[in-house]
Amino acid sequence: MGNLRPMGPERWWVLVFLAPTLLGLLLGTFGSIFATLGISFTDWDLLTPATLAGISNYVDLPGDRLFRNALWNTLAFSALYVPATVIISLFVAIGLNRRIPGISFFRVAFFLPTVSSPTAVGLLWTWIYAENNGLMNRIVTALGGDPVSWLSRDVALYSVVIVNVWGAIGGGMIIFLAGLQSIPKDHCEVAALDGATPWQRLRFITLPALAPAMFFQIVLTTINAFQAFDYIYILTRTGNGNSTMPTLVFSIYRTGFRFFRMGDAAAQAVVLTGMIFVLTLVYFRLQKRWGAQA
Amino acid sequence: MTHLHWPNRWGDALAFVALGFGALCMIGPFVWMIATSLKPVAEQFDMALIPATPTLENYPRLFDILPMHLLLWNSFKIALISTFGQLLTCSMAGFIFAVVRFPFRNAIFVILLLTLMVPGQITAIPQFIIFRFLGLYGTQAPLYAPAFLGGAFGTFLMRQYFLTIPIELAEAARIDGASLARIFFTIYLPLAKPALAAFAIFAFMFSWNELFTALIYLPSDLEKTTLTVGLALFQQQYSGQWPLMMAASLFSVAPIIIVFFLAQRHFIAGISMSGLK
Amino acid sequence: MKHLTSTALALILAAGAARAETTIDFALWGSPEEGEVWKTIAAEFEAAHPDIKVNIEVADWDGYWEKLRVQVAGGEPPDVFAMDAPLYPDWQSRGVLLNLQPYLDANPSALDGVYPITLEAYRTPDGLFGLPRDFQTIVLYYNKDMFDAAGQSYPDDSWSYDDFRAAAARLTLDANGDGVKEQWGFWAEVYDMEPFWGPVVWAWGGSPVDPAAGTTLVNTPEAQAAFQFIHDMWKVDGSMPSEQELAQYGYDGFLAGVAAMGFSGHWSVPEYAAAGLNFDVAPLPIGPAGRATGVNSAGFVISADTDAPDAAWQFVQFAISEAGQAKLANIGLAVPILESVAKGEAYLGQPVQINQALFVDALDYAHMKPVFRGYEEWSSAVGDALNLAWSGEEALADALAIAAEDGDAALAKNQ
Repeated sequence: MGNLRPMGPERWWVLVFLAPTLLGLLLGTFGSIFATLGISFTDWDLLTPATLAGISNYVDLPGDRLFRNALWNTLAFSALYVPATVIISLFVAIGLNRRIPGISFFRVAFFLPTVSSPTAVGLLWTWIYAENNGLMNRIVTALGGDPVSWLSRDVALYSVVIVNVWGAIGGGMIIFLAGLQSIPKDHCEVAALDGATPWQRLRFITLPALAPAMFFQIVLTTINAFQAFDYIYILTRTGNGNSTMPTLVFSIYRTGFRFFRMGDAAAQAVVLTGMIFVLTLVYFRLQKRWGAQA
Repeated sequence: MTHLHWPNRWGDALAFVALGFGALCMIGPFVWMIATSLKPVAEQFDMALIPATPTLENYPRLFDILPMHLLLWNSFKIALISTFGQLLTCSMAGFIFAVVRFPFRNAIFVILLLTLMVPGQITAIPQFIIFRFLGLYGTQAPLYAPAFLGGAFGTFLMRQYFLTIPIELAEAARIDGASLARIFFTIYLPLAKPALAAFAIFAFMFSWNELFTALIYLPSDLEKTTLTVGLALFQQQYSGQWPLMMAASLFSVAPIIIVFFLAQRHFIAGISMSGLK
Repeated sequence: MKHLTSTALALILAAGAARAETTIDFALWGSPEEGEVWKTIAAEFEAAHPDIKVNIEVADWDGYWEKLRVQVAGGEPPDVFAMDAPLYPDWQSRGVLLNLQPYLDANPSALDGVYPITLEAYRTPDGLFGLPRDFQTIVLYYNKDMFDAAGQSYPDDSWSYDDFRAAAARLTLDANGDGVKEQWGFWAEVYDMEPFWGPVVWAWGGSPVDPAAGTTLVNTPEAQAAFQFIHDMWKVDGSMPSEQELAQYGYDGFLAGVAAMGFSGHWSVPEYAAAGLNFDVAPLPIGPAGRATGVNSAGFVISADTDAPDAAWQFVQFAISEAGQAKLANIGLAVPILESVAKGEAYLGQPVQINQALFVDALDYAHMKPVFRGYEEWSSAVGDALNLAWSGEEALADALAIAAEDGDAALAKNQ
């Protein structure tokens, strides 16, 4: 990190440059962090004034079956989704970081899933996953396997991870493509002349240079994983507006908005935020260690 | 042909095949969407890629049902203003966080990141109350004013990119008497073009896809609201008519694809930075 | 001269004051077309009340409730807003709705000709805090083309649930014999009680819930027998598509043209007609305890915080008048609550030519969809538990026991 110490009038520039962010942060912290924390210690049904509830909302959480179920689903989903998304988008970006005719087409192709509306694409995925005549099962049976119920409870986790990773590669690709532009071209050429293998160049030139982008992408992908909702809901929803694979944000929304229990929902949100926060601190630590080693 | 990370043509060929296969998987559902948008309703569930009786009728119907030109214009206006605000304020803050040492730098940065981790479901009502307190309820300000107040995503993204620019550049310029503002605008910002391009794609996409804020703060009137709200309203009635839904959804993503196409040209392999050192 | 001038001035001022408009916001869920119809109703109302301007705000169902909650909680509620009867107690019991009883007492004829059962949901010990706008009864939809192809006679009012089940089995087809069905005899939404399992439970003499006692009744002997019927028809006969089989056809098997029969309300008519289905409707079959269906209504409420309660009331009164109801009947999504309109040309002469009168006649044997505080939480808990049986994770008897237990827990939380 840069350690330029501002001197004299430079302090003013620091303030000017940070002013919008600090103002936004002031409003944002009150509007989000303090608000969520505050609500979590109350009973509030949205329509009548909140009453203090102490820590009772937190005490009730372990006994809430929907919450436990949602917590487990979210953790299992994130454990698969985060590494898959980061690794695949990294390799796609490295592969697409070249000057060849038609490269724009490839990049657009990998970006398309990121912008496709989950509502519309959701139907296509139900076709792909359809038990009878679905694309996946045609491939499985062609390879000699038995048809799989892709969206049944045992398999749905893996099926929704595939769809979500598919939808997230484009975003990761953009971050890594931008990050790759910061690698001075000469470094690669010098290394190539020195007879470095592709793996050595990846390990000693590309990855260290990408460390900041990688850190960003891992943190953001973790946040997205813990807040994942749309594709999961669309692929597993039931007719009463519920889901056979409820996630934490679904549980928060349902508890707060539909069941009028904002206090309980806020306690769940605090737990969710806490988990992402702890993970981010762990990443910070790992990044420092890795940075020292590289 | 310049190859960067693979030593020989075999490597290129292998990468090309792998990426071609990947691109096919990526683009497949999208092609299917286009195909479905060209089907009459009667064929919507036949799972066929090629429509038996292709039709363009779904596209004009979309314009009959919704005032698409108004919705597109409203969304576009808000997205453009938001993208500009975000690029400016986030890159300024990202620069300071990456380059300058000041009190509580890490603490402020961590709190900034926290705002990104709190799920939005709870914060909708407190934020509504804040906007109302500021007298902004009933105006369009809640849709684009926050874009001019920085933001964790953009600040984090830009900070990470600025970290890869050798700090010696700033130090040297400073010895020559350049102010922080000058260093930012003449050295860091031009070097950060790829990151700005990436961020522009995200900022535009976030604003373009924003449903909740537009729903809450704009009048629920098709002439005044955004495309996302209009399409949500439209789905209420036409959710059983997938060709129409696919046409609508293709229409709504086209502007983001154009923005992406324009921005990705800044991802040009091999910008040489060593000359600047 | 001077006197004359001041009179003229007073007149101008009075005219100006009369034109000083009161604006009321009316928020509702619906489609773009419904918004357009409401704008014409508002225009007619404004013509009759030049001092009131009505702002129509239409959002989709999910968006509507999100926005409404944020607006009410944030202190900016719309003056008049739409309400779904089962959710009404959640709002009424929290004091955010205006009591309409004083207005009704002052206009004793305001509710003349309104079907009484549609008012039931809105009654409280303190009076009515809302009024119905339209209602839904559940009927049996059938696809004529599929019946003709199978040589099956159309359903009529003599059908018992056994006849219905037998027909459904005959209409379930795997024409090419590949073990994959292309057509099922029946489809209905199984999670919410309204379209399917509620009417079946009533037809077996049971009832879904007793909200006053805080008891879920899905595990009574009558309800067990009713659920056993659904289970056998679905899981033994295979006359209904499983969730997996249905997924690739969207969410509505009848709409997708893969189910020969369906239970649904009037809201499905425009959708089915637009999909080009050749269909009609019949009464629900006769069960062991006779014929039964459900009735539910959507209505209007006025915010307790409104600045213009009188103007809001006048608008609500206009919307449930014959003029307003006739325009609403044109949308074709629901049945008008005024008998004169429901039996008149505006409703019966709708463009979609099916047995429209049947939806009205169904009121004779209709049970009111339960209306109580915490309905959504209860419905969600019971639906999730029943799904354990439909997905095969639990035996039916166990799932019903869980449903009763979870339903009671949800009721207790909302006492």
